[in-house]
Amino acid sequence: MRAALAAMTLLVTSVAACSAPWRDTPAPGYVPDAQRGDWEVFARRCSKCHALSRPLQSGIENEDQWRAYVARMRAMPGSGISAVDEERILAFLRLYAADQRRKHARGASAAETDGGSPLPMPADGGAP
Amino acid sequence: MTLARRSTLRLLVCLVVATLVAVGRADLALALDRNFAGSAQLDYHLVPTARELNARREAFDGFTVEAAAKVAVDVGGRFAANLKICFGCHGFETDMAYFDYRPSSAFAVRFGRFSPSFGAFNLRHDPANHRLSDKPLPYDMGRMLRLRAWNMGVLPSPMPDNGVEVTGKLAVGETSSIDYAAHAVSGFKADRTSGDLDFVQSRDGSLYYVDNNGRPSVGGRLSFTTDLGESSDLTVGASGMRGTFDPDNDLAYTIFGADASLRAGRTYVRLEYLGRRQDLDVSDPRRFVYQVVPNGDFTVKHGAYVEVEQALSTRVDMIVRADGMLRTGNVLALPAGVPTPSDGVLGKRSSVGRLTLGAAFSVEQNLRVKLSGELWEFSDRNASGALMAVSAHLGAVGTF
Repeated sequence: MRAALAAMTLLVTSVAACSAPWRDTPAPGYVPDAQRGDWEVFARRCSKCHALSRPLQSGIENEDQWRAYVARMRAMPGSGISAVDEERILAFLRLYAADQRRKHARGASAAETDGGSPLPMPADGGAP
Repeated sequence: MTLARRSTLRLLVCLVVATLVAVGRADLALALDRNFAGSAQLDYHLVPTARELNARREAFDGFTVEAAAKVAVDVGGRFAANLKICFGCHGFETDMAYFDYRPSSAFAVRFGRFSPSFGAFNLRHDPANHRLSDKPLPYDMGRMLRLRAWNMGVLPSPMPDNGVEVTGKLAVGETSSIDYAAHAVSGFKADRTSGDLDFVQSRDGSLYYVDNNGRPSVGGRLSFTTDLGESSDLTVGASGMRGTFDPDNDLAYTIFGADASLRAGRTYVRLEYLGRRQDLDVSDPRRFVYQVVPNGDFTVKHGAYVEVEQALSTRVDMIVRADGMLRTGNVLALPAGVPTPSDGVLGKRSSVGRLTLGAAFSVEQNLRVKLSGELWEFSDRNASGALMAVSAHLGAVGTF
């Protein structure tokens, strides 16, 4: 058991020294440079408790609904979401929602022409 | 059914019906924002070291499924209803059925059925929200080996209960905050002669609508979160709860814990400790395995884990966890004629340790495969004389 623990400690130390990109980093150009920080706040705060796919796949496109959703999440104990964070998260979600509305407006056939991928996000919904 | 039980049952039914009606009413669309979410995890648990013993006697091996569906209804920005139904080893269960009212960031109240705020892991108890198939041992709810001898973890998660909770968030400068929570819920249940909390009775569908002793369990949590940099933050917290579990309100339990969660870039480090002290009815010493000594009328169960989660790529995460439990105190003897169980019998001081190495692979945005191996070490021998064991999990979890 002690040998296994030592081996795992070594493994963790080695791997932690490596760096990997955010698993949900948007495709290049999706988030304007000026809003890159908003994305980072969204990814960091919202991945603390659940996968980012939860909000991204929620189907919400309405500003008021996003505001209520984020307010409810902010109230969760230990969320770490401050009032400033709330506005930055909403700023990213506003951008995201507008993109979703545009895609839906184009219709299913246009989406198929796009390759059927509605999200520029990578595979997983993110951290727990 | 007693009058009190009928009243409580009616109240809960009304709560659920009101939520469902609100969800279904299209003409309320302007006032209500609905959000649906759900998850399902299928896990295969293999215990190769238990071949002679038959793993089923000491663990849930083979396939298990956990599924959940949730609807949250925001009625304006300050009032919301939440309903979550789970399916697991207890069958269908109402994990959430509550309203929360948030007049300000510093003060919110929720009432109904929910898991009270306790510890750090419980927020992530849904299998979609943690990277390994099973929970840390202090929060185990049935996936551990020798689960019957140990009666699962210190505080099996989740622990939905009926009651009320006040919460709030206080800003400390621009980068830190303090969260508080205080709750009063029905509390855990057990018979007077039970040697431990009875988690089946605490959750059983025919029993959980009404408290067995009428006296609420109370508790709370205090945590501090601060940013350490652009991509790093730290949360430290402490939690506690206390109540009586027997119908006569003579026997008490106290659960306490401390936790720390650090995120440094793409690395997560989580540490948590839980402890539970509870009274034993030792009025009949013949019921116990070991001699009842002065001040021997209680047991203490400690549990802790440290977990490191590291992204290896955009699709693969590696998770390493070390966890364990230590129990001290007397043990209930088996009735005459009942053979020693496969799990063995705990000593006056028993421990279990586990090392886990796992990985989570993101197949699609909402689909993840989990793989992990576990090495176990026990202080007591089981029926086949083993002190160590190996097990493995292969699971898939989907979310929407």
